[in-house]
Amino acid sequence: MTSKDANPQAGKGIPLPKKETDLFRSVVKHYECKQYKKGIKSADAILKRFPKHGETLCMKGLILNCTGKREEAINMVKLGLMNDMRSHVCWHVYGLIYRSERNYNEAIKAYKQALRIDKENIQILKDLALLQIQMRDLEGFTQTQHLILELKPNLKVNWLAFALGKHMKGDCKGAVDVIDIFLSTLEQGSTDLQKSYETSELALYKNSILAESGRWNEALDHLIECKEKDIIVDNHSWLKMCGYYQLQLERYDQAKDAFLKLFERGSTEDYSVHTGYMLAILNISGDLSKRMMKSKGARALPSLMVLSEMQRSMLQKEYENNMLVQYPKSIATRRIIITLLDVESDEWKEEIQSYIQLNIKRGVPSLGDDLSALFLCCSPENGNEYYVAEDPVDVKGHQAFCNISKIVDDIIDSLENNSTFPNDEDIQPPSTLLWAWFLRSVLHEFAAEYREAIHFIDKCIDQTPTGVDLYELKGRLVKKAGDIAAAAECLDKGRDLDKQDRYINNMTTKYLLQADREKEALEKMALFTRHESDPEQNIFDMQVTWYELELAACYGRKKMYGKCLKKYMAVEKHFEDIHEDQFDFHSYCIRKVTLRAYVDVLRWEDAIWGQDTYVRAAEGIIKTYLHLHDNPTKSSEDDEIDYSSMTAAERKKAKAIARKKKLKEEKKILEEAKREDGDEAKSKTERKNLVKDQDPDGLELLKKPHLDEAKRYAATLVKNAANHLNTWLCQYDVCIRRGKALMAMRALFQALHLCRESKFIHHEIFKRIVDFQENGKLAEGSHPAVVEVFNMEKATLLGPTSKSLNAFILEWYEKVKANPPSALPLRVEVAKAMLRHNIGSPMDASKLIIENGLNVREVTLNNCVEALTVLKSIEGSEQHATEFAALAKKVYHLSSNF
Amino acid sequence: MREIEIDFGMITNDNVEQLRIINSTSLPISYPDGFYKDVVIAKDESLNKFAYHNGFVIGAICCRIQKDGDASSKIYIMTLGVLPSYRGRNVGTKLVQSVIDHATSEECQKIGISEIMLHVQISNNDAIKFYERLGFEKGELVENYYKRIDPPHCYILRKKL
Repeated sequence: MTSKDANPQAGKGIPLPKKETDLFRSVVKHYECKQYKKGIKSADAILKRFPKHGETLCMKGLILNCTGKREEAINMVKLGLMNDMRSHVCWHVYGLIYRSERNYNEAIKAYKQALRIDKENIQILKDLALLQIQMRDLEGFTQTQHLILELKPNLKVNWLAFALGKHMKGDCKGAVDVIDIFLSTLEQGSTDLQKSYETSELALYKNSILAESGRWNEALDHLIECKEKDIIVDNHSWLKMCGYYQLQLERYDQAKDAFLKLFERGSTEDYSVHTGYMLAILNISGDLSKRMMKSKGARALPSLMVLSEMQRSMLQKEYENNMLVQYPKSIATRRIIITLLDVESDEWKEEIQSYIQLNIKRGVPSLGDDLSALFLCCSPENGNEYYVAEDPVDVKGHQAFCNISKIVDDIIDSLENNSTFPNDEDIQPPSTLLWAWFLRSVLHEFAAEYREAIHFIDKCIDQTPTGVDLYELKGRLVKKAGDIAAAAECLDKGRDLDKQDRYINNMTTKYLLQADREKEALEKMALFTRHESDPEQNIFDMQVTWYELELAACYGRKKMYGKCLKKYMAVEKHFEDIHEDQFDFHSYCIRKVTLRAYVDVLRWEDAIWGQDTYVRAAEGIIKTYLHLHDNPTKSSEDDEIDYSSMTAAERKKAKAIARKKKLKEEKKILEEAKREDGDEAKSKTERKNLVKDQDPDGLELLKKPHLDEAKRYAATLVKNAANHLNTWLCQYDVCIRRGKALMAMRALFQALHLCRESKFIHHEIFKRIVDFQENGKLAEGSHPAVVEVFNMEKATLLGPTSKSLNAFILEWYEKVKANPPSALPLRVEVAKAMLRHNIGSPMDASKLIIENGLNVREVTLNNCVEALTVLKSIEGSEQHATEFAALAKKVYHLSSNF
Repeated sequence: MREIEIDFGMITNDNVEQLRIINSTSLPISYPDGFYKDVVIAKDESLNKFAYHNGFVIGAICCRIQKDGDASSKIYIMTLGVLPSYRGRNVGTKLVQSVIDHATSEECQKIGISEIMLHVQISNNDAIKFYERLGFEKGELVENYYKRIDPPHCYILRKKL
């Protein structure tokens, strides 16, 4: 709001006297300068003579709102508006109040009312446009920007914002036209035509729109034109775009030149540049190139798709004869050469050995992870693309893994005996042996051989007990072997060695939370937060989502469901804030012409509710509410009751009392802090704290209708995270409990669709399909036509071959049996279904679980515990249960479960 | 001799635990908490320092300045330790040499540092030889200097500057 808005012609058309008009102007000025006390004083002076002056009332309300007096403010603004419905100032303020409450739809309505009265008010138009882009009313945004542009065509930002609106709503051609018209309005020699960051960004933005609409030829011509005019400053992007377009246009020689120039500029470690270069050498088609160029991370073309013998030798020749000679220091180049060689060949072994030796000499802790990207697999379902083997069963059987393990064993042998590498004379320092052991330990970890892995990391710690990284690996191994408490201790020992190392401090915190020691975890976190005020609040302010997710899970395990929900919801709140933070970019980015980055931000924000972190939080909330729904007696309104009804009741009771005590203490501290703090601004933040602390245990959350809440979160997941399997599993779980059989069925179909490329059914889907066949019923009195379709679709769920649930279970029993490495949890689920439906003998079910020992996929500690529970429940399979426990004990030797 | 490259680094409150590890792996007696506190408070990298190799602490030396009278004072080496796996690579030599260099610097000469000295258990021939190589001379025998180790006697080693 500017002073110009301070229309004194108000109070039902009666103008204010001169003195009051001046006062009103000063109110507006004080508001803009954030001198709230003075502003209120001036407003009161007007209201003394004109108590019903609408605009003054509104302005006073607006100022009160800024000082935190929310309710009073809203009432005052409403009163003002009632007294002067024809004032755009009142409507504008009304909109601003809604905006500050984040009620954007209402704010937009109010702004539009204001604009009806004052059609050409730039300030209100701008505020409206901001809200429209925030709410992604792209059509409205574009119209508003058009109005602004018509009013002020001399401002560059107005042109850019209009173009951006067109681009965002999908009118690429229109956007390009707007930019072109803008450029044509410029006079020769204008600064906007000279070489500068802004000119360059605008040109590249226009170019990216051309590319987005697939106009490769035009885009490329435009790029070249820009270069001729010499207005580009971002030469790196320029070259990358050139290369990419030329690949799309299949002009391979030119593309090759572009990527070579990128190497010359120093991009030799950028794997995507290597991929582009290789695509050009091999003349790969535009479509396939597009797909390959999308890949991120340290994988270039030969580790992305299966290449023919000829293609590989072409690339090998190029890389060995030219690239390596040109860039002998490039690690990426050396690494790519390894991926071009045949894993079985001696050449490969030589290359990988020198690569490993180079890196353990330098002491690269991440070498193991780096090498793990070489465990490439391709399955027929995956077409020509590679994926990286991660399951220990697949890793153990992988040729690259076996060869690397052998090489590392030889290196260790040689270092231990002669302090040299095999075939080498140079004496190595002790740290080389250290990193060789470290690598060996990580390799054992990949193969789930934790006992052996710990053996090697112990050697490392024995040799260099001051190495912080070593304790981290040891802790991880101990955790994987089944003892989270000891793992947390181990990390804490490492943390002690370097108290400035935030990473090890955070890892320790995480492990402490997983070991259910949340109090100590908070102490550790507090070491790195601001030292004033409540660390918990500081952690919230810093949006530490990993901590909150772990803490929520910890509370969940401790059956403190209220607190658990609170923490998950804190994560949700962060996402709202992150979404809200866009406001900072809307006007800034256009002004600074960082349009390419701005469009990226807008698109990224559109997808944030589908991010893993949010999905995990929503999932946690849904699962907690469903648990509460399923166990109404065990955990009624508050979790204290739940405590006393547990075993070891007295201990729990004592805990509850202790908690209450702590609560009281916290309140006391807060109150004291409040009393001590007289400052106005600070007391505001205190008040915020107090509001938060009114329900520190989340008891209010527990009182909400459980299924409705779960439904609400499942709906956000369905809307935003449709590509997560867990979304559909949660949706199923919620729908089946709500008696919505059709929606539950749809969720299962969606889940199946997501996993369509896998030959095997996911055990969580299998479990639910069985459950659905048993329990999925339409509401009574459904239309016969609906019933018919429902029954048909329900049968379709069983797949093309099975006609009944029993046939479905039997089909999977046979499929699992025919494929030895079939996943353990799938085996368990099939066995459970067999037992329930009397398919085969109990021994058949029992054998299905154990027949391949632990040489199966998806073996985890929890899956083993579940398998053992099922085995124990089967009559006559005591032998199998004992055998299985022994196998599990071998892998998870530190766990007390076996 | 297979020398390895080392860097020196400060001992602070945040990493003093590593000094404890170095000392406990290389010295026969355990030092009280007060010792570590003093080292941290001193904040003097020329007297108390870690030896780093490839980013890890592998050794440390801790000294203090002792006033004899008004005019002269000396540097007293309290502890010197190197992790067992890293011994025989000149790490200890470099640590002591750095202290000798410091003692002969202008800064120390100004405050009248006249010698570097230390105590060594009489049975520790390796240490005596080590210091003699660096120009230290065996001085008087102090009986029953140590309380918990055998033999309890020690020599004083000095290097006049």
